[in-house]
Amino acid sequence: MSASFAPQCTEKKKSYDNCFNEWYNEKFLKGVATVNECEDTWREYEECVQSALAEKGIKKMLDQAEKEAPFKKNGVLTGSEEVSFTKDSKN
Amino acid sequence: MKIFSQQHIFGYSWEQVSSANWKKYPNEMSTHVIAVDVLRREIDPETNILKTERLLTCKQAVPRWLLTLVGGQEVSYVREVSEVDLKKRTLVLRSVNLTMNNLLFVYETVMYKPDPTNPTFATVFNQEAQITAFGSFKRLCNKIEEWSVDRFQSNASLGRAGFESVLNKVTNTVHEGESVLEIMTERVKEGVFLKNKAV
Repeated sequence: MSASFAPQCTEKKKSYDNCFNEWYNEKFLKGVATVNECEDTWREYEECVQSALAEKGIKKMLDQAEKEAPFKKNGVLTGSEEVSFTKDSKN
Repeated sequence: MKIFSQQHIFGYSWEQVSSANWKKYPNEMSTHVIAVDVLRREIDPETNILKTERLLTCKQAVPRWLLTLVGGQEVSYVREVSEVDLKKRTLVLRSVNLTMNNLLFVYETVMYKPDPTNPTFATVFNQEAQITAFGSFKRLCNKIEEWSVDRFQSNASLGRAGFESVLNKVTNTVHEGESVLEIMTERVKEGVFLKNKAV
């Protein structure tokens, strides 16, 4: 499991990742998930990571990226033509 | 701007590939990715699409001549937004670099979907990267863009071999716990269909 950029958050991230990966394989991919069920571990990890982002000045860069490629629009870069991969059938 | 695109087919189901996507790092093939953080994750109650925002932390991998010009940084950051659509069976990832983007801006789109000719057992990987270098000196910008092309090409065979081997491990041990699943590899960079367009 990958580390967090903030060492103090790595353990919390591991707990969350474990929960998420099980949920993803056992519920989401099987089409029986309607909510993300890892709220408890998520909250702990998120709190840790968000404060570290602000501390290290990464939050500002992320805010800028959010303006240019909003989460709501799936990270599509504003003003850029969406890549459709239409010519993707091989051979 | 230069555009790179490539395609590859993996002999694994879309479900296996999409599951492995969350467990890519760390792995011995892509040691430059030193951390991955989940910043936001939502499941749409109507469409059931899972959306995730992540921060990838990388050790800087730029040539010395470039660092001399722009000043060195220890790490660089990439922000990625992804969507998993279970109904369409697609996984799309879009990434931009957060650091040094006043000099070089990379916007990458990756899509995994079932291979239409073998949808149960094979997955098509498509990647396109738009690379733009900014600066007052055209020759320098061209050099930076060329270097970026070289980076994509040099990572190619390594990335492909790594991803295949990891998929193999994940597939064979999917119920044996997390330790083996942790070994995931970098986004595949084998230049199968390398297109190099100068704009």
